[in-house]
Amino acid sequence: MMTKAVWGGIITAAALVLVSTQASAQVVDTKTVTVSATVNAKAKLTLGTNTASFADADPDVTPLLSAAAISVDVKTRTAAASNVTLTVLAGGALTNASSDTIPINQLTWTATGSGFAAGTMSSSTAQALGTFLGGGTASGTQTYQLVNSWNYKTGSYSATITYTLTAP
Amino acid sequence: MFSRHFAVILLSWAVVASPTRAAAQTSTATLSANIGAVASLTLSAATIAFPDADPDTVPLIPATAGPILITAKSRATAGAQVVLAVQATDDLRSGVSVIPASNITWTGSGVGFVAGTLSTSSPVTVAAWTGSGIRSGSQQFFFRNLWTHPTGTYTLTMIYTLSAP
Repeated sequence: MMTKAVWGGIITAAALVLVSTQASAQVVDTKTVTVSATVNAKAKLTLGTNTASFADADPDVTPLLSAAAISVDVKTRTAAASNVTLTVLAGGALTNASSDTIPINQLTWTATGSGFAAGTMSSSTAQALGTFLGGGTASGTQTYQLVNSWNYKTGSYSATITYTLTAP
Repeated sequence: MFSRHFAVILLSWAVVASPTRAAAQTSTATLSANIGAVASLTLSAATIAFPDADPDTVPLIPATAGPILITAKSRATAGAQVVLAVQATDDLRSGVSVIPASNITWTGSGVGFVAGTLSTSSPVTVAAWTGSGIRSGSQQFFFRNLWTHPTGTYTLTMIYTLSAP
């Protein structure tokens, strides 16, 4: 009789442990989702103005004419560690209505902003205005200057400059 | 001796005969059921994709297929909190290029669902409820579209975990 009671107690205790273990165990269900994102190369160039003008001046007093600064904003997305380049190329010499010309290499520029550089204009080879490593945004300014020479013939001269932003 | 036997027989008959005259009889039976904790999670999609877009015009790209529909069935201890969480196994990777998983965010709709930002370091709560039940909601993912992201086709894996204590 005593043995039966002991065994009954043991079985009851075991059942309680089993039930309580099931009640307190945390159950989980898991699922996986695959995420993909496509990031393509992009290049966006914004100039503060599309004209640069030089006022007439005495060559002795102002040997170097200066135009208002042009703001330049560059946005690119490219492969990591790729070089992004911003270049300028003149369509030809500065020319007036009488077809008189001023050599385009008389046009130079200074620049501010990280990655931007000063240079001399060319109509044969694109000149670097900016070089940037990898994608992102960059802002700077470009200020054109024109050598003011006594040898220039009078007139109103113009030239077209093409800016090219390349993100490989 | 005879009278003693007669009395015993008479008493026995009375005991046996009595129940047959009862108008009602009651009995008890013990029924036991073991209700254990259960969790079941269903997602409407196993993949989500973000298309390319101009960062200036679409700074947050929504997933192309729209929201993921989520059904969470759980049986838990009374008053216990049932939690659905998600964690990225890694950052977005395309070859050697990496975009942190934290560039993926979501909004939630449905009772218990909350907005969040994906993480690789710890599970982030998608939804939480109290006690057992069947809950449904949706999760709309967004990809933070930056100019600084290197080009490529990126992937990562998210693991959803529904826990019912």
